[in-house]
Amino acid sequence: MADLTLTKVKSIKSPAEKLKIGSLTIFLNSVLLLFSLSCIFPLVWMFYSSLKVKRVFNADIMGLPKDPTISNYVKVITNPDYHIGESMLNSVRTTALSLFFIVLFGFIVGYILARLKFKGNRILYVMFLMGMLIPVHSLLVPIYVVFNTAGLGNQWFTLIIPYVAFGLPISVFLVEGFIKAIPIELEEAAAIDGSSFTRTLFNIIFPVTKPILVTIAIIQTFSCWNEFSFALVLIKNVSLQTVPLAMTMFKGQFASDYPKIMSAMLTTMAPIVVLYFVFSKQIIKGMVAGAVKG
Amino acid sequence: MLKSIKPKGRTIFLYLCIPVIWYVFSVFIPLITAMFYSLFEWKGGPNKSFIGITNYVALIKDSVFWISFSHNIYLVLLCIVGQVGIAFVFVLMINSRLVKLKGIHRTFGFFPSTVSAVSIGFIWMMIYDYKRGILNWFLTITGNSESVKVWLNEPSLVMLLVSIPLVWQFIGYYMVILLSAISSVDNEIFEVAELDGANAFQRAIYIVLPLIKNTILVCITLCVAGNMKAFDHIYTMTEGGPGTSSMVMAMYGYKISFAQMNMGYGSAISVGIFVLSLLVIGGMQKFLNILMKDKGVA
Repeated sequence: MADLTLTKVKSIKSPAEKLKIGSLTIFLNSVLLLFSLSCIFPLVWMFYSSLKVKRVFNADIMGLPKDPTISNYVKVITNPDYHIGESMLNSVRTTALSLFFIVLFGFIVGYILARLKFKGNRILYVMFLMGMLIPVHSLLVPIYVVFNTAGLGNQWFTLIIPYVAFGLPISVFLVEGFIKAIPIELEEAAAIDGSSFTRTLFNIIFPVTKPILVTIAIIQTFSCWNEFSFALVLIKNVSLQTVPLAMTMFKGQFASDYPKIMSAMLTTMAPIVVLYFVFSKQIIKGMVAGAVKG
Repeated sequence: MLKSIKPKGRTIFLYLCIPVIWYVFSVFIPLITAMFYSLFEWKGGPNKSFIGITNYVALIKDSVFWISFSHNIYLVLLCIVGQVGIAFVFVLMINSRLVKLKGIHRTFGFFPSTVSAVSIGFIWMMIYDYKRGILNWFLTITGNSESVKVWLNEPSLVMLLVSIPLVWQFIGYYMVILLSAISSVDNEIFEVAELDGANAFQRAIYIVLPLIKNTILVCITLCVAGNMKAFDHIYTMTEGGPGTSSMVMAMYGYKISFAQMNMGYGSAISVGIFVLSLLVIGGMQKFLNILMKDKGVA
């Protein structure tokens, strides 16, 4: 239908108008294309530059490598002083465990806030709402003080604590909003059949809320994997550092050996880049849903 | 609601206690701790001495803190115009029938926002680098070698230079959010308006803007909140320097607390960041609500 109207409008246009539309087409497409290319250009540039040795790169920073070599990658990955493998393992562990707790807690608290009336329901609601408003960076210094006093700093599990806490508010509200839209008959039927609260929660409600839990998992994967400032103040031990923290060390370690820095960066970015380009549709959808509803 | 669904109070308590304790411990306890220690002279060692509001008096007189705050505001304003503004223009362009490869723009444009701020900072440091940077390379091949400089060492330019990566990183993010808002609007509205002779500018202001007003408000709020906590990019690229030319509040709090180990004053700065961020975010929302009503767009 729309196409029909379109052809009709187009057919009555004069040559001058056609020219105008033609140049407009070129203009619009080139501006957007330029922007899109700028977004992945750094990735491409870093990739082919990482295949050069330092001397070749310094002589010509933009040219394609004439004899590509993976020696930078070999050096970066095999040298234990750079802690690349270790930091990736730390990031994977921290992210996975944080995700697990965020989704589990977000689901439980979100469900309880949405469905159960009890004393303190509103207080909890406001408490989590405040969590969305509190500028987390004002907690940078005090969290360091609290964690060190409590002996929780510099452990393999240290970062999971703030990541889960900061991920909770948005997750709670996403789940709460989602549950409110589910008909309560579902739980009533389960209760009549004699299902306990715990059973209803995990066997009946949990599968229904899967879409929103996936959204939460997507958002939190990126924010945990990329988080830097709390890792910076809470982790002092190099063998415990996460990827973004390890990256800041490259600068000092590799001095001005850019191809080496690039290969290290690309290695540590690889999991998230691959994940993004394979699941980009779902990821974009999830992130947008999280941003708008949250 | 059937009574049988409601579990015993004890069950609710058991389910809630771990998440709530976890959350309170990491958010509210530090907040209270900061307020407490901000009243002390404390250099990170075992000795603390109570000095009342002296830290706050110093904070109010601390020109570096207010410079940092003004840099945060600069970032907020620049990013509202740069991120949300440009994203809005791109959305109008992408929505045109003349544009091809919409899926590519979406996927590529969104990509930088999924990369860590540290990586983005590094990439741009390499772009700004004196000897091996793309910017200077470009200036040289286009015959402007006299404007080649050590970019991040220019006090008057550095704020702009550190904001560019920030703006660039999130244009695609806001573009995709706005696109999804527009896609829920019936396409016929735009077609009818076009047939009625509304030009692109009129369509943008009178049709698109009111329809996605709420989403734009969400974007602006995200943008304000995001830039009040700016830290990672700046830490990677300049650490606030040269001098204090690119200092932002979180960076200043970090430097005072961890480089000078002045934890008491650092705590006062943290409370300052907390109060100012809430004021700016709240004030911005009030302002936007008034603005929207005045225009009759509501």
